[in-house]
Amino acid sequence: MLIFTLRRLSLFVFTMLLLTMLSFSLSFLFPGDAVINLSGAINVTPAQLIELKARYHTDSNIIWQYIIYLKHIISGDLGLSMASQSVISHEIMNLLPATIELSLVALFIAMFIGIPLGFIAAIRHNKLSDNIILSVSMIGYSIPVFWLGLLAILIFSINLGWFPSAGQISLLFEIELVTGIQFIDILLSDSPYKWQAFRDATAHIVLPAFVIAIAPTTIFIRLSRTSMIEVLQTSYIRAASAKGLSFKQIIFRHAIRNALIKIIRHVGLQFASLVTIAMVTEVIFSWPGIGRWLIVSIAQRDYTAIQNGLLVLSCFIFVVHILTDFIYAALNPLARDKKYGT
Amino acid sequence: MNLLDIRNLSIELITGDQNILAVDKVSLSMKEGEVRGVVGESGSGKSLLAQAIVGVLDDKWHVHADRFHWRGIDLLRLSIDERKEILSRDIAMIFQEPMACLDPTTSIGEQLSEAIEISRLTGFFWQKQQQREAEAIKLLHKVGIKKHTACLKSYPHQLTEAVCQRVMIAIALARKPILLIADEPTAAMENTNQGQVFRLLASLNQLKNMAILLISHDLENITHWTHTITVMYSGQFVEAGTTEQIFKKAMHPYTQALVDSSPMANLHLPAKSRLMTLPGSIPILQHLPIGCRLGPRCPRAQQDCVRAPSVSSFHGHKVSCHFPFLTMPNRG
Repeated sequence: MLIFTLRRLSLFVFTMLLLTMLSFSLSFLFPGDAVINLSGAINVTPAQLIELKARYHTDSNIIWQYIIYLKHIISGDLGLSMASQSVISHEIMNLLPATIELSLVALFIAMFIGIPLGFIAAIRHNKLSDNIILSVSMIGYSIPVFWLGLLAILIFSINLGWFPSAGQISLLFEIELVTGIQFIDILLSDSPYKWQAFRDATAHIVLPAFVIAIAPTTIFIRLSRTSMIEVLQTSYIRAASAKGLSFKQIIFRHAIRNALIKIIRHVGLQFASLVTIAMVTEVIFSWPGIGRWLIVSIAQRDYTAIQNGLLVLSCFIFVVHILTDFIYAALNPLARDKKYGT
Repeated sequence: MNLLDIRNLSIELITGDQNILAVDKVSLSMKEGEVRGVVGESGSGKSLLAQAIVGVLDDKWHVHADRFHWRGIDLLRLSIDERKEILSRDIAMIFQEPMACLDPTTSIGEQLSEAIEISRLTGFFWQKQQQREAEAIKLLHKVGIKKHTACLKSYPHQLTEAVCQRVMIAIALARKPILLIADEPTAAMENTNQGQVFRLLASLNQLKNMAILLISHDLENITHWTHTITVMYSGQFVEAGTTEQIFKKAMHPYTQALVDSSPMANLHLPAKSRLMTLPGSIPILQHLPIGCRLGPRCPRAQQDCVRAPSVSSFHGHKVSCHFPFLTMPNRG
């Protein structure tokens, strides 16, 4: 297990190195001066520019420049936003938790709906319920997310008025930012309207989270269906039924765990596309997250923001990916052990 | 009274356009405490037959039988659930490739203890876990695994094939079965391990009077362990009789060919001469010959062989052939 952890950590370090290399090279590829792209300081006097160049060591060779850039990142200095001249690390610290909250809620919705539905479809393979689940999932998969988001707003917040259409929480509630994750902050706050605020925040997250979750849910349905069908055909399931276990026991004791192993690795992969969908959805639902901020930055040609937003977002995706790997190892004894000869 | 009496069991593979008769009217009967071998080439439907008896075939297969009696109970009259209950109580099965038959993500201890029936355990619920464990350890000792704690904690991939097969046998023994069906229990195992598994099965047969249905493709290897043998070819019943009858006085040309192809029965052959084999290979399921399926390969085939032969019995020695060897064939 220790070796497994070390391997994941080294993978993390090297991937982050590559990512920083990419974002570093972006500052040269974007139009304009590399130093200004890196620092985001657009309105500088010549004297300040000289000072900036000294800070980023632009006179040294490129490798040294990269190392200096790494130092800046590690010390938390991500430069200024070109559009608003605010400190990017602060903006990201304010915005990223909202995205984490939204995408994790969507991921859990997708998993808790998609995986059991896929299992049901597999158990009732080739029967009516299987076909219904499959065709509904096909429809869900082919709906474009921006259209679905607008439709959801139209139906559920304008026509029916069940859920609010924009934002993270109603402006009436004053919640102090502690962790940035709304629900935790609400629970931590000592406002007398804590539970109303909690209910309001829940109502706000329902629509965007479900809109994001639709496409991953359908993918999870398909993944879990195929893996469950595969597992149900293996010899150990047949042996278990020859052993005299009932069908329920076979499913709950043997089939589900083995099917989950096959799915859980894909969860990490799917998370990347889920975040992409979340970015679009954040724009539609005016969710104060990093995705919306990034898209706005692209429109404003805010190169510093784009660079660092990409870095932070991909770092987040990668962390989730590694976490799913750990869940995978916890479920699968084969992955935990040392591998010989592979 | 027979322990198991099956008459005319057919297994059909349901495919889109046309159903394929994979096992064609095979009869099988077993007495208590008997070790019966089922022999045939791979693809002859032996494993299908075994899985049909235990009832673990999936929906693709359609099983039909004229008679299916288990200790005098007509199982065909019972509902599926009742049948499954009786069968899983009295019949246990071990499969080929033991490693694939153990759940890779569950420890051996869990898999073994879930096979132990709760009703067998006496005591209050807080004692059950302990009793379960004691029972599991006892089962492991029965199959000759001495390091029980290490074995119970490990996962299937950490054990060797032979140990896995022993664990499978231990799982099978957990319900104290009357009949154990062993489907090529020693396939992909070295010779020493094969001997160990067979000896274990033989001792279980002698000590517990457990009947064993031993399925194998290797006639020569199982003759040491069986009392009676049933030979199958391409899903059809070929010949059944005592081991002695089959091995020494084979009546069916196919059985004769099997015996001739085994080196042990042909020690008198001169060195470096070829063993007798039948030309051709077993037909695939999509292109089964009509009548006797051995027809195209049979050295004694005649025009009558396009009709399926009926089973004739000679002093308990049953053979399904139009032209059996009625006297002992001249072996060179």
